[in-house]
Amino acid sequence: MEGMSYARTPRVKIRELKDDYAKFELRDTDASIANALRRVMIAEVPTIAIDLVEIEVNSSVLNDEFIAHRLGLIPLTSERAMAMRFSRDCDACDGDGQCEFCSVEFHLRAKCISDQTLDVTSKDLYSPDHTVVPVDFSDPSGEESSEQRGIIIVKLRRGQELRLRAIARKGIGKDHAKWSPAATVTFMYEPDIHINEDLMETLTLEEKRTWVESSPTRVFDIDANTHQVLVVDPEAYTYDDEVIKKAEAMGKPGLVEISAKQDSFIFTVESTGAIKASQLVLNAIEILKQKLDAVRLSEDTVEADDQFGELGAHMRGG
Amino acid sequence: MALKRKPRPDFESLRELFKPHIESFDYLVEAGLETMFQNVKAVEVYDPFTMKKLRIWLGKPELYPPQKERLSKTMRDALFPHECRQAKISYTGKFVADVCFQYDDGVIIREKFNFGQFPIMLQSKLCHLRGVDPQKIVSYKEEAAEMGGYFILNGLERVVRLLILPKRNHPMSMVRNSFSDRREGYTDKAVVIRCVRQDQSSVTVKLYYLRNGSARLGFWVKGREYLLPVGVVLKALIDTTDHEIYVNLTCCYNEKYEKEKGAVGTQLLGERAVIILDEVRDLSLFTRLQCLQHIGESFQALMDGLEEDSYPVVADAVLKNYIFVHLDNNHDKFNLLILMLQKLFSLIDQTSVPDNSDSLQNQEVLLPGHLITLYLKEKLEDWLQKAKKLLQDDITNKSKIFDFCSLAQVKKVMDKNPARQISSAVENMLKTGRLVTQTGLDLQQRAGYTVQAERLNFLRFVSHFRAVHRGASFAGLRTTTVRKLLPESWGFLCPVHTPDGEPCGLLNHMTCTCRITSYFDSQGNIKDFFKIRLSILNILIGVGMTPSLPKLVLAGPPEVLHVLLDGCVVGSIPSSEVEKIVVYLRRLKVSSASVIPDDLEVGYVPMSMGGAYPGLYLFTSPSRFVRPVKNISIPSDESQNIEFIGPFEQVFMEIRCPDGIDGGRRSVFPATHEEIHPTGMLSVVANLTPWSDHNQSPRNMYQCQMAKQTMAFSSQAICFRADQKLYHLQTPQSPIVRTSSYTKYAMDEYPTGTNAIVAVLAYTGYDMEDAMILNKSSVDRGMFHGQIYQTETIDLTDQGSRSDRIQKVFRRSNIDKSSHSLIDSDGLPYVGQMIRPDEPYCSMYNEVTGAINTFKRKGSDPAYVDYVAVDVKNKKHLHKVNIRFRHPRNPVIGDKFSSRHGQKGVCSQLWPDIDMPFSGVTGMRPDLIINPHAFPSRMTIAMLLESVAAKGGSLHGEFVDATPFGSSVKKENGEPGLKSDSLVDELGVMLRKKGFNYHGVEVLYSGVYGTELTCEIFIGPVYYQRLRHMVSDKFQVRSTGTVDQVTRQPIKGRKRGGGIRFGEMERDSMLAHGAAYLLHDRLHTSSDHHIADVCSICGSILTTTFIQQQKRIVREIGGLPPGRAPKKVTCHSCKTSKGMETVAMPYVFRYLAAELAAMNIKMTLKLSDGAGA
Repeated sequence: MEGMSYARTPRVKIRELKDDYAKFELRDTDASIANALRRVMIAEVPTIAIDLVEIEVNSSVLNDEFIAHRLGLIPLTSERAMAMRFSRDCDACDGDGQCEFCSVEFHLRAKCISDQTLDVTSKDLYSPDHTVVPVDFSDPSGEESSEQRGIIIVKLRRGQELRLRAIARKGIGKDHAKWSPAATVTFMYEPDIHINEDLMETLTLEEKRTWVESSPTRVFDIDANTHQVLVVDPEAYTYDDEVIKKAEAMGKPGLVEISAKQDSFIFTVESTGAIKASQLVLNAIEILKQKLDAVRLSEDTVEADDQFGELGAHMRGG
Repeated sequence: MALKRKPRPDFESLRELFKPHIESFDYLVEAGLETMFQNVKAVEVYDPFTMKKLRIWLGKPELYPPQKERLSKTMRDALFPHECRQAKISYTGKFVADVCFQYDDGVIIREKFNFGQFPIMLQSKLCHLRGVDPQKIVSYKEEAAEMGGYFILNGLERVVRLLILPKRNHPMSMVRNSFSDRREGYTDKAVVIRCVRQDQSSVTVKLYYLRNGSARLGFWVKGREYLLPVGVVLKALIDTTDHEIYVNLTCCYNEKYEKEKGAVGTQLLGERAVIILDEVRDLSLFTRLQCLQHIGESFQALMDGLEEDSYPVVADAVLKNYIFVHLDNNHDKFNLLILMLQKLFSLIDQTSVPDNSDSLQNQEVLLPGHLITLYLKEKLEDWLQKAKKLLQDDITNKSKIFDFCSLAQVKKVMDKNPARQISSAVENMLKTGRLVTQTGLDLQQRAGYTVQAERLNFLRFVSHFRAVHRGASFAGLRTTTVRKLLPESWGFLCPVHTPDGEPCGLLNHMTCTCRITSYFDSQGNIKDFFKIRLSILNILIGVGMTPSLPKLVLAGPPEVLHVLLDGCVVGSIPSSEVEKIVVYLRRLKVSSASVIPDDLEVGYVPMSMGGAYPGLYLFTSPSRFVRPVKNISIPSDESQNIEFIGPFEQVFMEIRCPDGIDGGRRSVFPATHEEIHPTGMLSVVANLTPWSDHNQSPRNMYQCQMAKQTMAFSSQAICFRADQKLYHLQTPQSPIVRTSSYTKYAMDEYPTGTNAIVAVLAYTGYDMEDAMILNKSSVDRGMFHGQIYQTETIDLTDQGSRSDRIQKVFRRSNIDKSSHSLIDSDGLPYVGQMIRPDEPYCSMYNEVTGAINTFKRKGSDPAYVDYVAVDVKNKKHLHKVNIRFRHPRNPVIGDKFSSRHGQKGVCSQLWPDIDMPFSGVTGMRPDLIINPHAFPSRMTIAMLLESVAAKGGSLHGEFVDATPFGSSVKKENGEPGLKSDSLVDELGVMLRKKGFNYHGVEVLYSGVYGTELTCEIFIGPVYYQRLRHMVSDKFQVRSTGTVDQVTRQPIKGRKRGGGIRFGEMERDSMLAHGAAYLLHDRLHTSSDHHIADVCSICGSILTTTFIQQQKRIVREIGGLPPGRAPKKVTCHSCKTSKGMETVAMPYVFRYLAAELAAMNIKMTLKLSDGAGA
């Protein structure tokens, strides 16, 4: 085994891909990498979110901070985010965050003049930049239901008014959850299930059935013809050990052996809509690479700091 | 929009909780005032010159709904509660009454007098909000669920606290050591009765037992107790003979029944009767007239207005006004006194036990309306007396010309003591909770009758109305007997909902089903007690009672049992018949057709061997506790089987649990009644704890406390409120796991917390010892966000002296532009503006002096101007404003949170989301992590159940019912309440169905390493409350700062930027550790370090003085500062500067020297250098 490299070549196999959902396998790597990817996706992939709100008129029932907080949580389309600058190290505007390189300005004007309550939603946020707009959740199939009119910010009654200017900036989820592009990112270890067929055959059909049903998720099933216990969906297994405990309770320990494959992970990624789920993964890998670069470079020289661009800030501000 | 509207919440059950307060005030308005006015004694003024007598009395009281003051007489606007709160004025209505004058026997002249502005209870019949439906009430800027029951006084909401009083018109035998101290010869035993008149005023009469076998009747007149030999009273009451009294007293003894069950008399009775009669004879009083004369003679000096009358008239008044005032008829009084004597003797002979005055059985409650009536009556009587005195003074005062016959002049004299003061006296009583009275009104305490109804959250608010206080006089008692939870209070007072600590057991809360009888029947009509009593009497006679009038039946227990109806001995029933009659009465009580009220208390005390004194005690009176139970002895085909029972009768009833089992009852006493639901024994707040029957009981008590200090959705009309401080939770949620009371009391209107995903694991160590870790991202997204609203009222007319009242206006300075960013041109702040500490927010201009004053914000955190309300009563200038500030209070480290199971904790970290453990399947990260050690010793199993249930409920998309004692209720079809045999099983199956672990645990992965945690973690949603204790309001730090003027030590107090005391015990621990340097640093260097000059010749530190050096003109060398001139110090007494030394010492030492010097004590220091010592 001489000259064996510990370097591995991780492989990704995409199973399912939608705009806001991705499921893929990550193989030939270990938990640290998988978890690093998860953490970066949640906390360090940049997006754009409203960060500064100037309220001109607010006669609604909600107070200013409440509305500002709600505005901040509205996901904005953030394809541009990777290319944008953090306003704190934007050269163009000395970091006051008012320039096109680091910010997008929104306006909202709403006044209720009818007797019916007016819903002020994310659709009422007007942006001059068509690349950064509130995420549209309406069904692309064209069914325009009334509930799909965007995210409600506040409801106005007759005579109430809301007028404000909001500045959206680039940021990361570590600073505030509103910049997190991921609704959920999780991974599980791929299970390795071996049924001891000999032992299994000692069970009656009734016993088999109770054993199969002891798992809260449908991992096993019984073949209708052969009455054999089959593993139908190994990934439905939640490592809850229910079947193992059941087997022991039935006096048949070792009926099934389940182990987690230490180098295979099944990722589930859900995006808030700010960026596509696929992009989220790619961006995360990109950032992970930049981080690794930073580690490698920092050995050499501190002056090279300039080269990392925004990563320098990451390393410092951390 | 096809929005599904939520069904409007039903506030009826909520309204029921506030009823005792409102109904009692309603009675005051409708009939109570009238009755009370009739009972106010008339005064007579006699003018010896004109030989005329003027009689003055009161009549026809009228109360009007609150109205605004207006200049024009024709237009009057209604005054609404919201306006009172904003303007910090009182919600009062006009109180007018007739004052009647009559000269001798001339015509009666009625004059309308204005008795001022009388406080009006909200939602009472005079309130503008009464009967307004929830939608409309919102347009009056109130909550949809505005329940009323309180008063608004100077903008503050105050409730009258319900207070426990001894049960009215019920003779109670008592043993008290204080009785024997009364006078020589007294024993510690007595029978006490608190007699209440129709107008709620009461007189307590005590019948003491003397060691010689006799008895004394004691009653209070003008703050002093007077004692009369009982024989004198007996003889004075009616024309009777010694023999008759003897027979009456001894009738309850019969040799035949001695030592038998229920026998109360002994052969000693005869001897005692003789002693009583001998006593009277020894006073040489033989006839009734002689007795009356005897009483009259002794009491004439005390009776106002009867100075001229004959002794018998005075004695009659004494008997009428002080002895058994609830009865009108002297025969009734006589009979009652006989009964009380028999009860007293039975207590002495130990054939019956003393009644427990701490037990709810012998108690009732003081209601707001009744308290006000009482107090008002005294004030009116005082007013009349004062008027009489003023008139009398003017008559005797020769220097003034006063025409007694001119009514105008009489009125003018009376105006010296304005009638308006009467209402303001009542208002003051409600404002301060203090009774200003001479007589004491037969109440035990003078202060603490009202409390502020805090709206910290709705539960706290409701609790104010359900709280029943035992009385302030008991708080000081060192014994704990009054605080005990007695079985008699079952179903009436909540065993869970009492604070722990100082008021524990004294401040109780009524259960949710407990009601208080009132003057109103179920249809809302005023009860006619006279008619009710008469019909009860007729029914009793119909079923075989021998009426006591004209003469009491000469027999006693166990042969016959006495029947008392509201403290009047109405007759007796053969003891064999009683039980049948009781059942019959209960039947009538329940049936709607009969005239017998449904809240009649049928207190049947059965005969026993030396137990409670037997008899049938019937009560129809108001302000008793009652609660509904099912009467199962009535065939169920009669739909009406809910009976209201009181604590007096409950003790002797057989009530079983609704679980269908007989509760270990012996078959001799089958259950006649059944509880409606076991939760009926809990208060509203205690009822909201899910599955409280699975918790260790103290935890439920803690939860009751914490629910009341939760920061919740305080008010729906928050934008119209001007409370001094209001806590508000920004995004509350409805709990997934809830009890049936939650919906019953429409608690969704005022939710108190958030469903947080709680993981139970020891993670990072930051969750040790009841600390908890919050997920930072959850907090970022708005979990537990909240704010404090705080209102400042600025009234320019209050500021400064009277003279420059009008000259002040709100205006900002035109010269000083620095404040213009904060203060608008009208001198008031911009709405929405952030104001930092010490920044001005409001500015005031004095038009005469031209001075500008600004109001600055105190405190340490920035605030936002939320709302500015101005008083526009003064058209030209604004004089009064309310400025409401908003302090954001988002969760930070150190804030306190709690679940609904008495599990409180402090946030120790806002932990990054990515570092939180996560579920591999769902990707779920917990919002909150608590330590598993919180469970074993506290045994809050319900919290675990809640977690599992809420998880199941949220997976299935439904609320989970967590009503406690569900397993103890039999369903209609006879099945037990639960579907499966255990609650856990029911919940576990719910989880299984959705592919989750049966026990609510999940496999979690470390957020930091991505590896599986070694054990499965219990995780699920739990409803968490945010408590109002927040670090932002509590932290105290200081480095240097202000010091005390005298001692030069750092000052105390958080508000003033003071330090935290390093006290004696802290000093001790430093000493114990030998940490001398630290001690020196804390107590000296960082405190009042001082370098004093000491004269080593005389040893004084006080006589040293600086000598002012002449200013030498020092040439500055190259811009360097001049060299420090050496300080020259001399000793004043030694007149030399030789021997001056500097010594470091605490400044207080120098101060001590000065203080001692002031007392002519000289303190000298002997100095020696350290090496020589």
